[in-house]
Amino acid sequence: MSALAARSATAAAPVIAVEGLAKSFGPVEVLKDIRFDLRPGEVQAIIGENGAGKSTLMKILAGHLQPTAGTIRLGGEPVKLAGPVDAEHRGIVLVHQEILLAPDLTVAQNIHLGREVRRGLTLDDKAMNRSAREALDGLGAAIDPRAVVGSLSIAQRQLVQIARALLVPHRIVIFDEPTASLTPHETEALLKVIDDIRRRGVGVLYISHRLPEVKLLADRVTVLRDGRLVGTYEAADLQPADMARLMVGRDVSKLYPDRAAHAAGKPILEVEAMRVPGYVRSASFTLGKGEILGFAGLVGAGRTELLEGILGLRAAEGSVRLDGRPVRFSDARASMDAGIVYLSEDRKGKGLLLQQNLRTNLTLAALDRFTRGALLSPAREEEALTGAIRDFDIRTRRRDLLAGQLSGGNQQKLLLAKMMLLDPRIVVIDEPTRGIDIGTKEQIYRFVAKLADDGKSVIVISSEMPELIGVCDRIIVMREGLVAGEVSGAAMNEREIVMLTTGAGEKEAALAVEGTGP
Amino acid sequence: MKKIVIGLAALALASAAGFAQAQEQKQLTMAVSIPAADHGWTGGVVYHAEREAKLLEERYPGLDIVVKTSPDGAAQANALEDLTAQGIDALVTLPHNSDELTDPIRQVKDSGVFVTVVDRALSDPTIQDLYVAGDNFGLGKHAGEYMKERMTEGGDIVIIRGLPIVIDEERQKGFDEGIAGSKLNVLDRQFGNWSRDDAFKVMQDYLAKYPKIDAVWAQDDDMVVGILEAIEQSGRSDIQFVVGGAGMKDMIKRVQDGDKMVPVDVLYPPAMIATAMDLTAAGLFDQNPVRGNYVLDATLVTQENAAEFYYPDSPF
Amino acid sequence: MSDAATTSATPPAPRREIDLRAVAPFVALAALLVFGALVNPNFLGIDNLTNVITRSAFIAVIAVGATFVISAGGLDLSVGSMAAFVAGTMILFLNAAPVEGGVPMIALAMLLALGVGALCGLANGLITTVGRIEPFIVTLGTMGIYRALTIWLAEGGSIAMASRDLRAAYRPVYFGDVFGVPIPVLVILAVAAIGAFVLYRTRFGRHVMAVGSNEDVARYSGIKVDRVRTITYVIQGLCVAIAVLVYVPRLGAATATTGLLWELQAITAVVIGGTALRGGVGRIWGTICGALILELVGNIMVLSDLVSEYLIGAVQGAIIIVAMLIQRSLARR
Repeated sequence: MSALAARSATAAAPVIAVEGLAKSFGPVEVLKDIRFDLRPGEVQAIIGENGAGKSTLMKILAGHLQPTAGTIRLGGEPVKLAGPVDAEHRGIVLVHQEILLAPDLTVAQNIHLGREVRRGLTLDDKAMNRSAREALDGLGAAIDPRAVVGSLSIAQRQLVQIARALLVPHRIVIFDEPTASLTPHETEALLKVIDDIRRRGVGVLYISHRLPEVKLLADRVTVLRDGRLVGTYEAADLQPADMARLMVGRDVSKLYPDRAAHAAGKPILEVEAMRVPGYVRSASFTLGKGEILGFAGLVGAGRTELLEGILGLRAAEGSVRLDGRPVRFSDARASMDAGIVYLSEDRKGKGLLLQQNLRTNLTLAALDRFTRGALLSPAREEEALTGAIRDFDIRTRRRDLLAGQLSGGNQQKLLLAKMMLLDPRIVVIDEPTRGIDIGTKEQIYRFVAKLADDGKSVIVISSEMPELIGVCDRIIVMREGLVAGEVSGAAMNEREIVMLTTGAGEKEAALAVEGTGP
Repeated sequence: MKKIVIGLAALALASAAGFAQAQEQKQLTMAVSIPAADHGWTGGVVYHAEREAKLLEERYPGLDIVVKTSPDGAAQANALEDLTAQGIDALVTLPHNSDELTDPIRQVKDSGVFVTVVDRALSDPTIQDLYVAGDNFGLGKHAGEYMKERMTEGGDIVIIRGLPIVIDEERQKGFDEGIAGSKLNVLDRQFGNWSRDDAFKVMQDYLAKYPKIDAVWAQDDDMVVGILEAIEQSGRSDIQFVVGGAGMKDMIKRVQDGDKMVPVDVLYPPAMIATAMDLTAAGLFDQNPVRGNYVLDATLVTQENAAEFYYPDSPF
Repeated sequence: MSDAATTSATPPAPRREIDLRAVAPFVALAALLVFGALVNPNFLGIDNLTNVITRSAFIAVIAVGATFVISAGGLDLSVGSMAAFVAGTMILFLNAAPVEGGVPMIALAMLLALGVGALCGLANGLITTVGRIEPFIVTLGTMGIYRALTIWLAEGGSIAMASRDLRAAYRPVYFGDVFGVPIPVLVILAVAAIGAFVLYRTRFGRHVMAVGSNEDVARYSGIKVDRVRTITYVIQGLCVAIAVLVYVPRLGAATATTGLLWELQAITAVVIGGTALRGGVGRIWGTICGALILELVGNIMVLSDLVSEYLIGAVQGAIIIVAMLIQRSLARR
């Protein structure tokens, strides 16, 4: 992979070039005077903070939105993209950031949705399953084309979506944060796929928050900030830290907060032989006061399910002791009352009511604090919102927006604020920075560190190893429903963790598995 | 609960009877297929069918009667198939709707079953061995004639019809003929769906629309209940009387008691189903000649003869 | 997911839009009133309008309950049958006359009706939540059950109040008035006011909206989803019972046709009022407005001489669709 970045694109005529591109929603200017070009066989990364206008730019290029001003040239010809279908006909395909699949249909049916293969009047399921399997194999994804999409993990769905996009003839492929929900292994496979696409002479636009990945893959990097172009640079000339600086407009080389080495406080949460049917065979761990404990593992290792099981969000059995006393939580209310909150990785599906306003979302879990008797006090809720916007730096132009209208980073801050209203002693955060820009990441890391400094305990579940290593005091690694091992201190490095997550760690891993087995 | 127990017992008896039938030649089965009780009159039909079934089974020990109610035409067609499959000797049916059920009943007939049709004649009258009905045309005509005689000086009347089906049309035609040549002026006619609630609303609206109404004709006694309530609420005294039809016991009682608002009623008795079952059984067992058409008079009930038609135990 | 939603570049949203959405049903109602006045001058008479508002009471009150159920993402098709069943049991109780005196007797019967309604609603709620069955199927089933029980109680006929004295004592609850305002109208106002208070101003109401918006988010926020859902069905049952309290004194009887198709009218009123069928948005006053619109449409049809009586259904349908179009086009602005 390291060879990838060395390949510099030839100076061929650009497949697509834009000039003076602008987009406004009503009075709000989202993009202004954007100019760049993409050459065939080039991977160009578009980077910028959430809200910098990357997604809007991509949607314009894919025909989902019409620009307010500016020109788009395809192969030198000025074009007007009438809609996504038109853009697709012209060879531009967009791999969406969100999963846009029908959950009740199979993988093959989704991949062929709207372009079904027919034999006479009937559908040719065999042919569709075959071509879907080929497409998925090409991505290195072992997914059964006949599986129902609803039964797949988010990462698998993402791959299905990519397979679907690549099925049409294309000369430009736009990836909108394709690796946001992928594990390192899956990411590596995907980067190879993208490299293959580049070798075929296709132009690739690549949006990502993962700057090391950008450094590895991209030929050139275009940076946006606040809807304006900062510049286009040769990737070879930039280090990730430089990219971050260009994006944020200030130095953010120190992403992770300094933390004094913590003597583990007295155990506050002790979990023993926890079993979550279908996900976790057996898991035991303890969490100390003021500790930040990480959970690493591949998607499907059972990390999310383990914590959800402990907190009463799904059926589970095993022993849980809080402050030494045995507890059993029947639902989220019970664990919240005990002072434990859980921030789901699925912010849009389980964290926030996207169709409701910020105030409703903020106070939902802690409504008791905003009532007199049974009566709500909107004034006190508004006060709380003011406080949350200030304390958590939620960036919103208006207070009466719906939660779904916030950017991902601000949604995460709102979710944090919501759960902090419960004044918890233990905070569980699942994928705290998925799909979030670097500036917000830094804020969230600092917040997590501060929680621990204040004597609260934090559990961080994450697929990003640098994040776990940078933030946590100790990391538990899970594999296939078991605790595969634990790393802390000097052993807290990527190599060690990868060995445990993948089972490549020979003896240690094997021992750990046996030690906690049922 | 008690009902359920009785129902189960009846089921057990019925199957026992079916078993007995295999051994004894004289056993005969009569199926009765009628609409479910969706308003007062059909409720009366169900009541009388079940009552008559018990009486007949006592009178003819070899007779087994299956009463089956259906909520709509399609369900009734299915019920007819099921009944035929069980093996029946005679069918007494009050079809939901003539056109829809003519063919299903023809199939029953073709399997050699004696067919008695009640109230609503089939599109092809050759199918029915026996036809028992009330006089729909007469119901309208007698009501119209009564109004014509009562209001020789003329007057303004409003009409509340039932549902747009054949019965309704016949009654309407009869009424129009009944008042023909009079000075009566029909202000309005609307559908009240044979429902008390709907008739109440329509009457309220009539009262708002017309400053003077002399009399009301409604096709059914159920609707008269709603009409009277609406008139009472309005406090208006211009409405002299209301004429209904069917012979609901509350209305017969009012006629008997000399209620000024309900001076008469026109009979269209739900008990006609009992008449039909009785005749059919007589034909089956006693071999009396019964084939033909029986039209029951739409008798005008007045204070003088009301006692004759008052059944305090009937639900209708 | 709308295109703009994922970028921070969201279109300026909408205090004004929200207001319009809430006002839209009232605009449709006003348009209908103008139309009615043009069709027949008697339409705007106090007596006529009072009649129409009064008789919209059943649907309006039931629809307030339906607003709760639908806001929480549920559906109740059994309300019409339930009304007939509650009315039937109430009248049978009155006829059995277990206690002395008209007023205590009626008061007791009212309590019984509320109890039966709440139990019917509880049954719907528990089967839906504990049994994890689609509410459409559950309430379709109980719709048949309540209807059949009514017919069984009535032995196929009707259940009428036997005592003329009781009937006379109870009658004013539908036909009476307080300072010229008919009692059923007061009932509508009271039920709607309480409903709006509960839905907009209490913790429970907020939970209803959250459950209807996204069940998972509600669950992860520590809301007892099943309990909230079940209570909405109990509220629906109570609203049905309250409607029955006003219905019984009108005609003093329950028949096989009592409450027929009320479920569809109630749902229509809720939707015309601006509540989303998918849940998460509830508008109590809009619902009342929707119930009035439905009743007015029927009234205007009888008062007009525009079309033959055979075509009235078609015109009613058309007017409802037009009212919806006015509502939606305003809401979209």
